[in-house]
Amino acid sequence: METTTAATTEKRLPRSAKTGRWSKRVLRANIPLILLFLPGALYFIIFKYVPMGGLMIAFKDYNFHDGVFGSPWVGMKHFDTIFSQPHTLNVIRNTVMLSLLNVFVGFPFPIILAILLNEVRRAWFKKTIQTIVYLPHFFSWVIIGGFVVTLFSMDSGTINHWIERWFGDSYPFLYKPLSWIAIYLGSGIWKEIGFGSIIYLAALTSIDPSLYESASLDGANKFRQIWHVTIPGISTTIILLFILSMGRVMEVGFDQIYVLQTPMVTDIADVISTYIYNTGLKGAQFSLTSALGMFESIVGLILVLSANAIARKYDRGLW
Amino acid sequence: MKASRGEKIFYGVNYALLILLGITCLFPLLNTIALSLSDIHEIESGNVTFYPIGWNTEAFRSLIEGTRIVEAFRNSVVITIVGVTASMVATIITAYPISRRIFIGRRPFTLGIVFTMLFSGGLIPTYLVVNSLGLVNSYSALWLPGLISAYNLLIMRTFFENIPDDIDDAARIDGCSEMGYLLRVVLPLSMPVIATLTLFYGVSNWNMFMNVLIYINETEKYNLTVLVQNMIKSQSLLQEIVNTGVTDDDQLAIVPESIKSAGVLVIVLPMLAVYPFIQKFFVKGVMLGSVKG
Repeated sequence: METTTAATTEKRLPRSAKTGRWSKRVLRANIPLILLFLPGALYFIIFKYVPMGGLMIAFKDYNFHDGVFGSPWVGMKHFDTIFSQPHTLNVIRNTVMLSLLNVFVGFPFPIILAILLNEVRRAWFKKTIQTIVYLPHFFSWVIIGGFVVTLFSMDSGTINHWIERWFGDSYPFLYKPLSWIAIYLGSGIWKEIGFGSIIYLAALTSIDPSLYESASLDGANKFRQIWHVTIPGISTTIILLFILSMGRVMEVGFDQIYVLQTPMVTDIADVISTYIYNTGLKGAQFSLTSALGMFESIVGLILVLSANAIARKYDRGLW
Repeated sequence: MKASRGEKIFYGVNYALLILLGITCLFPLLNTIALSLSDIHEIESGNVTFYPIGWNTEAFRSLIEGTRIVEAFRNSVVITIVGVTASMVATIITAYPISRRIFIGRRPFTLGIVFTMLFSGGLIPTYLVVNSLGLVNSYSALWLPGLISAYNLLIMRTFFENIPDDIDDAARIDGCSEMGYLLRVVLPLSMPVIATLTLFYGVSNWNMFMNVLIYINETEKYNLTVLVQNMIKSQSLLQEIVNTGVTDDDQLAIVPESIKSAGVLVIVLPMLAVYPFIQKFFVKGVMLGSVKG
């Protein structure tokens, strides 16, 4: 974006060529624009930039009585607590672990789906499958949490009904760490597999069909064609999306964890966002959890910036 | 070209995998519909999977009579309609100036907006701001903090920027003002992106969960997602609702599973009703978003 807009702005410089100042015409044209922009600017200042400034309570002992400005400064005290308490360290570890698993395990599924869909020759079949697999993207996590309970709960889940019938004993899927993680990952893949495939399907349309013809003439079977034509054809998209998803490693959605969490698995399922909600907001530990949130934001910022710097090498930065 | 034997196997396996995936995506929904409408004995003996066995609408009746779900439904509708309208107006009037080359400060303002996508004050500081504005426990706390999504804003700005300059020049020569140009030229040309973003905002408002949990304290103001989530998580609440559904000979008419399923369906059904019409806009939106902002 930067380079293209810079080039076009030069063509239509709004400044006067002689004096280098804004011309009267430009100034007059800017009045309605500034008025239109004002509400949006206020929104970003009040609800985005003021909270950033509010992060100063991470270095204070916040209390309601003294407010953000009146509360006493305590320096790095809360950060020391975060990095010395086993509980908060555990929360950070869970956040990193669950999101890394999400990136690495979940990443290939939309690609595979896009490749499979790309090989379908009957248009109506492709459309029907697409309609069905895009649907879960629009469900809120409450709905999916409801599905998970319906399917996997210990005494009444549909899957446990089947297991009971065939093997005798039901299994507490939502109460064992390993099966809980599997459900966490599976539900995320289930929700986004279809929608994630859209971007790869678009990339696949840019592959020259004659490549398949010549590969086929050279005697390449379907798997070889996929391996030597399809995957190389979308490899830049794959690499780019992978790098960008690494930039979001600190983001573990609150809703998903909150609806899937059970008391037995908090050891592995308590993440930064749920900890801030429970301990910070409900337990009124504002300063401590602000420090944790700030740590999360800064690590996230570093990750996104470095991911983008790497992605730029492939000429496809995020901005 | 005739398909070889290997290719036939390949296509067969491919279709089988896709059908399997389709079933996996639909099964939880079908199972939920089946459980909400089935006879209590069939559910308890685990016979119900894909379709309802023995027609029983008692779960929906107890849900409507025994809980605040009708109220919550109305709240969800209000939250969504007002939220989408406010967000769309705000997004349009903010995206338009930063799409104009003539706008002074367009670059720093754009960068200032992009930065909010990369770094945020987080939950607690935002809560303190909303609290100090006195918005807690009012719907303004749901509409204002998320009024403009920077991501959606950039999609709209890019769309505005791609309107050809010729149209702009022609409008200027005809003496069109800045506001007139936005209302009479830009907006009519931007219907695809307006439709897409309306749907993006619509889905996120309808599904809104965390903000309601954080900012709304009174149960009568809850929306559907929070009400249903509380119901699913609370055994005692479920039992209370179950007890309202008693048959003539004093037998329980429903099981908790039916109540949970019926509750989930109340959130899903409006979405399913509009899904066939909106699907293409979402696909378009992903493509718009993937254009470098």
